Amino acid sequence: MGVTITPTMVGQVVISGLLAGALYSMVALGLALIYGVMRVINIAHGTLLMLGAYTTFWWFRLLGINPYLSLLVALPLMFFVGMLLQRTLVARVVDAPELSSLLLTFGISIALVNVAQLTFTSDVRSVEFLTGAFLVGPFALSKSRLVAFAVAVAITAIAFWFLQKTKLGKAIRATSQSSEVAMVCGINVHRIHLYAFGIASALASAGGSLVAVMVAIQPEMGQVYTFKSFLVIVLGGAGNYPGALLGGMLLGLVEQLASLFLTTQLSEAVAYVLLVLVLLLRPTGLLGGRAT
Amino acid sequence: MDDGHLLEIRDLTKHFGGVVAVNRCSLVLAPGKIYGLIGPNGSGKTTLFNCITGLERRDAGEVFFRGERIDGLKPHQVAHRGIGRTFQIIRVFPELTALENLLVVTREPFEVAYRRAQELLRFVTLDLLENEYAGNLSYGQQKLLEFIRVLMRDPELILLDEPAAGVNRTLLNELLAAITRLRDQGKTILIVEHDMKVVMGLCEKLFVLDYGEKIAEGPPGVIQADPRVIEAYFGR
Repeated sequence: MGVTITPTMVGQVVISGLLAGALYSMVALGLALIYGVMRVINIAHGTLLMLGAYTTFWWFRLLGINPYLSLLVALPLMFFVGMLLQRTLVARVVDAPELSSLLLTFGISIALVNVAQLTFTSDVRSVEFLTGAFLVGPFALSKSRLVAFAVAVAITAIAFWFLQKTKLGKAIRATSQSSEVAMVCGINVHRIHLYAFGIASALASAGGSLVAVMVAIQPEMGQVYTFKSFLVIVLGGAGNYPGALLGGMLLGLVEQLASLFLTTQLSEAVAYVLLVLVLLLRPTGLLGGRAT
Repeated sequence: MDDGHLLEIRDLTKHFGGVVAVNRCSLVLAPGKIYGLIGPNGSGKTTLFNCITGLERRDAGEVFFRGERIDGLKPHQVAHRGIGRTFQIIRVFPELTALENLLVVTREPFEVAYRRAQELLRFVTLDLLENEYAGNLSYGQQKLLEFIRVLMRDPELILLDEPAAGVNRTLLNELLAAITRLRDQGKTILIVEHDMKVVMGLCEKLFVLDYGEKIAEGPPGVIQADPRVIEAYFGR
């Protein structure tokens, strides 16, 4: 405290906020997708992100190849893991009361974290790659965060193109706008659920691969991303896909701005204060209503 | 078993908790006719639609479509067999365009589907609005869109839940003309409707439900004079 805040510092946090926000948006889009088509809150979303991070870690540790290339393996792999989870477990609770799906996905999360602890141990791992920063004028841009930003923007753009332009994407949106009507119109919503969970898992795991280069990797690392993704979709309006983008950017900005004015411990709390405020004041999300 | 019926319902029963919504209801539809399903509010008409289309699982009874059992099928499977429906409260996909609303429900290749979609949009004069989000269309336009969305899959049996509700006269006449044209093409139509003028003018045969039971069936003229029907509507 007592440090004067200069415009450069503000500029720096805005940049950092946007860089972090793109990643939040991408990960949260997955959570929004699952909620959109099935009305299921996937507590295991961050856990899937953790699996993505480990995939990247082992890829780098065992093969020694550029960790970003692990996305090529992690994405399809987690797409199938997601479909498998949907097929075997989540499909059973889609039409059940909310509590069932919360408990089930919470259970999946605990089970996967424990499997990770047993197989990967609880040791904190890291991927030493692409450290350092570019200096652009007065701003320092962390290389790994820049790459994460670029990749997240690209993947999110592809996901949106898919949702907007392809037949399957439109069927996914139709299902999230009205599942019952989609069914009666001949859309196999069980198949849609399968794809949606697969895509959501791939999005989460992409987040894991990208943060693997930036943060400590350990089996419980995912939980904070579950919470943050939840906050993002509340900000953007649950089930509102463009809203998830806005919410992610906003969360990134707010977190970074808070770190400028508050102590580290307090700035962690800001996200949760924001969550409570939005739920109290604008429970349908900042964009209001639904736009899928 | 194929005895020339398009749809046959046998002793269909559906409970919600302790309430019997549909009670041992049986009816037979022959192809190429327009049928009406009438009855006071809460008499089980929409529940019957839901049981036919697979949205609700029946508790007892059987539903045959073209001689095959369809009760127990999932809604999209029922749709693939050739049954389409609209809803009492319009349900378009609001965040898809009018055109996308149509394309999303077909399994045909894009070229074929696109041509059919444009034909149908012209059929109800919505062709200039094909790229408008369905949520931005007027009530009547959404109703027409929902109607032609049913036709996209070219179903043999079309279930219409209150097509006349909230529709102005001009639009209503267009809808009724379209329904008659469909019948002339050999389609079978079952309509739930409260507007008696519409029902009497359009339908060749009526089924009357009361408290989930079929209390009468026959041509409109006979039904109008049936004391049980009058009692169900107006009380004793």
